[in-house]
Amino acid sequence: MSQMKFEIPEIELMKSGHVACPGCGASMAMRYALKALGPKTMVVIPACCWAIIDGPNPCSVNGVPVFHCAFETAAITATGIKAGLKRQGKDDISVLAWAGDGGTFDIGLQAISGAAERNEDIIYVCYDNEAYMNTGIQRSSATPWGAWTTTTPVKNPKERPKKDIVDILLAHHIPYVATASVAYPDDFIRKMQKAKSIRGMKFIHVLSPCPPGWKSQAEESVHISRLAVHSNVFPLYEVDDGYRYTISIQPKKVPVRDYLKYQGRFKHLSEEQIELIQQAADRKWDILMKKVEMGELFMQN
Amino acid sequence: MKDALESNNGKPVFAMSVTDMHKNKTGSWRYMRPIYDEKTPPCIKGCPAGERIPQYFALVKEKRYQDAWHLILEDNPLPGVCGRVCYHPCEGVCNRKDFDETIAIHNLERFVADQNVGNSFPQRFFAEKTGKKTAIIGSGPAGLSAAFQLARKGHAVTIYESLAEPGGMLQMGIPKYRLPREVLEKEINDIKSLGVEIITNTEIGKDKPWQELSDTFDSILVATGATKSRPMQIPGEDLEGVSSGLAFLREFNMQHKRDIKKKIVIIGGGNTAIDCARSAIRLGAYVTIIYRRSRHEMPAVPEEIAEAEAEGVKIIYLTNPIEFIGNGKLEKIKLVQMQLGQPDADGRRRPVPIKGSEFEIEADQVMLAIGEVPKLDFLPEGVHEKWGRVDVDAYQMSNNKGVFACGDSANGPIGTVVDAIATGKRAAIAIDSYLTNQETEFVHYGKVVGFNEINLDYFKKEKRVKQNRNNQKEVLSNFNEVHLGISESDALYEAERCFSCGICTYCDTCLIYCPDVAITKAPDGKGYIINYEFCKGCGLCVHECPRNAMTFEEELKWRIV
Ligand SMILES: Cc1cc2nc3c(=O)[nH]c(=O)nc-3n(C[C@H](O)[C@H](O)[C@H](O)COP(=O)(O)OP(=O)(O)OC[C@H]3O[C@@H](n4cnc5c(N)ncnc54)[C@H](O)[C@@H]3O)c2cc1C
Ligand SMILES: Cc1ncc(C[n+]2csc(CCOP(=O)(O)OP(=O)(O)O)c2C)c(N)n1
Ligand code: SF4
Ligand code: SF4
Ligand code: SF4
Ligand SMILES: [Mg+2]
Repeated sequence: MSQMKFEIPEIELMKSGHVACPGCGASMAMRYALKALGPKTMVVIPACCWAIIDGPNPCSVNGVPVFHCAFETAAITATGIKAGLKRQGKDDISVLAWAGDGGTFDIGLQAISGAAERNEDIIYVCYDNEAYMNTGIQRSSATPWGAWTTTTPVKNPKERPKKDIVDILLAHHIPYVATASVAYPDDFIRKMQKAKSIRGMKFIHVLSPCPPGWKSQAEESVHISRLAVHSNVFPLYEVDDGYRYTISIQPKKVPVRDYLKYQGRFKHLSEEQIELIQQAADRKWDILMKKVEMGELFMQN
Repeated sequence: MKDALESNNGKPVFAMSVTDMHKNKTGSWRYMRPIYDEKTPPCIKGCPAGERIPQYFALVKEKRYQDAWHLILEDNPLPGVCGRVCYHPCEGVCNRKDFDETIAIHNLERFVADQNVGNSFPQRFFAEKTGKKTAIIGSGPAGLSAAFQLARKGHAVTIYESLAEPGGMLQMGIPKYRLPREVLEKEINDIKSLGVEIITNTEIGKDKPWQELSDTFDSILVATGATKSRPMQIPGEDLEGVSSGLAFLREFNMQHKRDIKKKIVIIGGGNTAIDCARSAIRLGAYVTIIYRRSRHEMPAVPEEIAEAEAEGVKIIYLTNPIEFIGNGKLEKIKLVQMQLGQPDADGRRRPVPIKGSEFEIEADQVMLAIGEVPKLDFLPEGVHEKWGRVDVDAYQMSNNKGVFACGDSANGPIGTVVDAIATGKRAAIAIDSYLTNQETEFVHYGKVVGFNEINLDYFKKEKRVKQNRNNQKEVLSNFNEVHLGISESDALYEAERCFSCGICTYCDTCLIYCPDVAITKAPDGKGYIINYEFCKGCGLCVHECPRNAMTFEEELKWRIV
């Protein structure tokens, strides 16, 4: 078949009326996540854009219980809720910790590390818009090298590479870690459903275009996400049991330039700087391929 | 949660959501509005008959072959014929050509026709009788197409045909190895089943006077084609053995006359020449085609020239006959070599003889195939002609009120089956409004979708299907069809390959990507509804639509009305 078509659950738990910006990737991600998990789900949201998107008290667009918690506590709050449910015999309810990159890579890192080390039975999704968007686009440790934010202005763009959160989670030996994209909702939904079926800690890292923060056009959000996958800036893969790597979407290897050019936050980059980003993406892919090979080797032995 | 509410007179004891955000009408944020807005794919505009190509492909994909057939018929009552002999201008403009290869539209058209889904027509093909009568002169594709369209509007139609069988060039000209006559007969019978009467062996002007038609009918449509071979006007043309190629084809195709000579020379470079050559070679002759320009200028279709050569036809380019030599009976042909000079009116370089390059070849039969012209001597005084054809206006009407003309006998697009079908259809639309005293409304094409408006992220490159073919040796010993069409699985594959430019395929892409859950399926499953109370106008749906079936418009335009 030559045309891309989607097989997606019809159920719509997330409703209209939310206050995400037009074209917000994080709102698309939540819609897909809830389609995958279904009504027997509780969501934990720390301080982040999604704490606002959902609606002001006493409103929520999500159609399932949402628990708002402190910025750094998504993982531990989800852990507590899951323990409470279990105690009540409601173990069939999935608990979803839903946090931004700031709440995951930075301030929430200690909590998520603790939960992962204890292998808590929760699904943790980090929707990564690569900065502290809700407070006005400040850099986080997820902000990519070279990007503009209000705290890394064009004169001093970010000089440190993006933190490898997937590798950090993998270092905790948890059963399932995956990356996802709003451009591939079917792949994302499949991964969420798989996470739901696995006991223990599951971590899914989804790239979330943010039109105001990335200085991109609202209508480009899906296109940009797709280019992130195909330029190897954000490859899609999953890791089972800590060592079995599987590539989900074979990248078409488009130049990173094509990904960067739709985003004002990279507008200031010179040719040399773009070349450095290209090399980093290529390297990242090569290392990933080595990990895939290593995983296959372990499986044979 | 219920308990928590009850314990505090219905108010939550702690901050807890009790409702959704349906009161927050985010549609007010919008300054651009997405709308579903189907556009014209280039193939539809490229098809003179305007067949709704991606729309019938959609039906093929659902294996609804009868519905697909009916949809084609609305624009063209001869899909089995056209799927075989049409030069498919639709494919020349198909957007897919800039991606991998054009869609094999004519193979799919033939596939649908060959499903032989019976001959029943849907209710929409039948209208109440109007009591108006139209005479059509000539039963070629132009006349048949017009008859079909007029009958569908409830008008009585009688076709007069001078030959013994209907079909025009499809019957007398095109060889059976390209168009089996069962295919033609089936489609003519389908047209007749709508009540169209075809009276054969009746030449207007000879067997029946024009006056009789103008006395009995409310309108007359001239669809007599171009059936007279053009003479060479060189010495020796009256020798025994020199005849017209079209006459040979007609006598062979319709009367099964097989008595031809051994050494045959055909003059001309069009399809008639090629058809004569390939027919004669099947009858055991040695065949040479003489053409005065080079292969590049040859009007015949390149694939057919190649097939003729593969079958053993010899072609001599840049050569022209100047005399047929013989004693009562043809023996030799005197030829002269040509070279290409300045371009003439149609842009092709004019061939000029090279002095002193004359030579002779032996031949016992010559077929002239340098073109056919209309024979209009039956027309009454005063009907204007132009370039030897009936001079018609934009409504296919001549200067004589109520007298229309189409196909190869009228000025306008000529020379192909599908042009004849298209002008026949136009004439029918115009005659219908003439008979019912209404404004004529031809189809008007809106915006045509360009290749750069297709979202290529949704497609991957794939090979075009290949038609099955009879084996080369076998086809030369008989008149069996050379090309055999495509299989069902190939048809489904090829229909799936089509971009469906500008025409929604209900792929759900728009619905799936909407971050605001503002798009839902229409209750009948065919189409979508956008909830403008909540749509923020991000444009994702429009931008992601793989085929440009949506448009993003300025909101102001909608607020003003
Ligand atoms: C050998 C040959 C091969 C061709 N191959 C192709 C091809 O592969 N693809 C393609 O697209 N085009 C092809 N063409 C061109 C195509 O056939 C014509 O353009 C097309 O048939 C014209 O249609 P028409 O209805 O106008 O006329 P015609 O098909 O010529 O039909 C006119 C009919 O009117 C009848 N008639 C004429 N005068 C009278 C009268 N006074 N009274 C009653 N009846 C009358 C004739 O007998 C004839 O049946 C070919 C043409 C020839 C000659
Ligand atoms: C302990 C604490 N520090 C600071 C804040 C202010 N604050 C609220 S949201 C936010 C940024 C969140 O960034 P991220 O997690 O990336 O989510 P995003 O807003 O980008 O979706 C900050 C700093 C807070 N709520 N709590
Ligand atoms: S891709 Fe399909 S719809 Fe588009 S021009 Fe080609 S045949 Fe027509
Ligand atoms: S994707 Fe949804 S919100 Fe965006 S323009 Fe389309 S309907 Fe409106
Ligand atoms: S995205 Fe698909 S379903 Fe939506 S308008 Fe385009 S073709 Fe139709
Ligand atoms: Mg963030």
